[in-house]
Amino acid sequence: MAANKLTINADQQLSTIDRQIYGHFSEHLGRCIYEGIWVGEDSPIENTNGIRNDVLKALKEIKIPGLRWPGGCFADEYHWKDGIGPRETRKRMINTHWGGVVENNHFGTHEFMLLCELLECEPIICGNVGSGTVQEMSEWVEYMTFDGVSPMAELRAENGREKPWKLKYFGVGNENWGCGGNMRPEYYADLYRRYSTYVRNYGENKIFKIACGPNVDDYRWTEVLMREAGRHMDALSLHYYTVPNTWENKGSATGFPENEWIETLIKTQHMDELITRHSAIMDQYDPSKRVALVVDEWGTWYNVEPGTNPGFLYQQNSIRDALVAALNFNIFHAHSDRVRMANIAQVINVLQSVILTEGEKMILTPTYHVFNMYKVHQDAKLLQLDLQSEDYTSNGKTMKAVSATASVDAEGAVHISLAHVDPTKSATIEIDLRGLANEKFSIDAVELTASSLDAHNTFEAPDTVKPSAFSAFEVNGHQLKVTLSPMSVTTLSIR
Amino acid sequence: MEAVDRNRSCRGCGPQYEVTEAQIDRILQAPMFKDPSVVVPASIYEERLAACRDCEHLQQGQTCLLCGCFVRVSAYYRNKSCPNVKSRRWGPYTT
Repeated sequence: MAANKLTINADQQLSTIDRQIYGHFSEHLGRCIYEGIWVGEDSPIENTNGIRNDVLKALKEIKIPGLRWPGGCFADEYHWKDGIGPRETRKRMINTHWGGVVENNHFGTHEFMLLCELLECEPIICGNVGSGTVQEMSEWVEYMTFDGVSPMAELRAENGREKPWKLKYFGVGNENWGCGGNMRPEYYADLYRRYSTYVRNYGENKIFKIACGPNVDDYRWTEVLMREAGRHMDALSLHYYTVPNTWENKGSATGFPENEWIETLIKTQHMDELITRHSAIMDQYDPSKRVALVVDEWGTWYNVEPGTNPGFLYQQNSIRDALVAALNFNIFHAHSDRVRMANIAQVINVLQSVILTEGEKMILTPTYHVFNMYKVHQDAKLLQLDLQSEDYTSNGKTMKAVSATASVDAEGAVHISLAHVDPTKSATIEIDLRGLANEKFSIDAVELTASSLDAHNTFEAPDTVKPSAFSAFEVNGHQLKVTLSPMSVTTLSIR
Repeated sequence: MEAVDRNRSCRGCGPQYEVTEAQIDRILQAPMFKDPSVVVPASIYEERLAACRDCEHLQQGQTCLLCGCFVRVSAYYRNKSCPNVKSRRWGPYTT
């Protein structure tokens, strides 16, 4: 049996792990925006100008770096002028993409930008290519960012906002190969060139333009987009969801057998191959890696919770999701020379959420805790490492039992995160801190683990899965011997 | 070819999200909805549904926007309560 061994070359700094890798996604879908974020100013739920205070506090704790809005599929049917002006006069419509519920447009541009200001995070706005016009997209950017005399700046002032907002990230369409217009890559590439021409930089505001990229393994889409429009974009997106079974019967968020555990974790690691192969195509057209790969939708997708509207995509979140998050972060870190943003789908009450709400109640999911444990890697420098891991085998499937990442932050602290996927036994790993400058150091460590495959938090038992201080390690010079719990995520910080 | 087709299909806007009453009927066929330790008596169930019927948060007569549940399903559970903190229309059944 092979031993688990990790060598970290602390003197070999690689790319910067962009904080935007820890970004989130919020769509007008189910109870993500309405109820999850927006409850209105007259709600008995404590709020700031209509935005839930408990959610603001929780998202600030994990240092949310960016928030994508308004979709998703919804973005390519969203007309931003429906969401400005007095709320009582805003258009009411049916959200045909998700659940067919009434959309009253009470959460619009001003409310979203306020949310980002309160969270101190970057707004990431996705424009409408599928059913919107060039003028509509151009005017939205003018409305948000123009500082001076212009029709849209005047309209913004009439609606209570004199000064422009700062907007860095703007997506030119979403999933235009599917719900965003069912386009061919050749057609979308030309449309991208046309629409993005009028997404202008006003004053000192500089927009980072994100083109719609491929779904999963559609490598031809990447090839065509890079060839025809690569020089006009700052980033190309990638969407990949982890589905344990099939799209028709995805599998349950809880109550699943061990074969679905390993199947899920193997499938989520497909992200590594996808990024590697899409990046190889991008390298042909952009060897300097100027154009970022942005994984702006990722996460688990299960059957909805029994008895809930299937259009709301509401699912529970267990220790399995925590490991999915950790495995993906380790992959994103390893590719951080090209991957400079990711947005988990979605922040609240939809798919792999970090927060679930029900009325005034709010719980933090195991995925939330991984975001909190990994926030130390934001903007840190990736460290070169070599990992040997034992195998984990179940039901005829095999994967590596341990995944690892390491970084050094601006203060010189080295952070190591380890995901151990085997739910049946603990694992010992020897870590060699080669090249570490300091002779003497202290270690703070935290662990997230559970006693069952589907352990999760509920409104009745909100702390079933939560991090705890970790001390199962021995130090001998620059060598560490760490005992990882079954199905665990561990972060060690060396100062 | 299969991969290309799969990649082009939209995950979120298929007709499967148009929920019919017959589909909810099928959910309610599960044996648990006949277990008295799980569900409320029929009279309480009807009272709860009546309370939901004129609620502003009920969408298309099916879905509670505050919790995402089909009210015909959630009203069955003893331990459930109306999620509207402003005016709770029904609480857990404890008898």
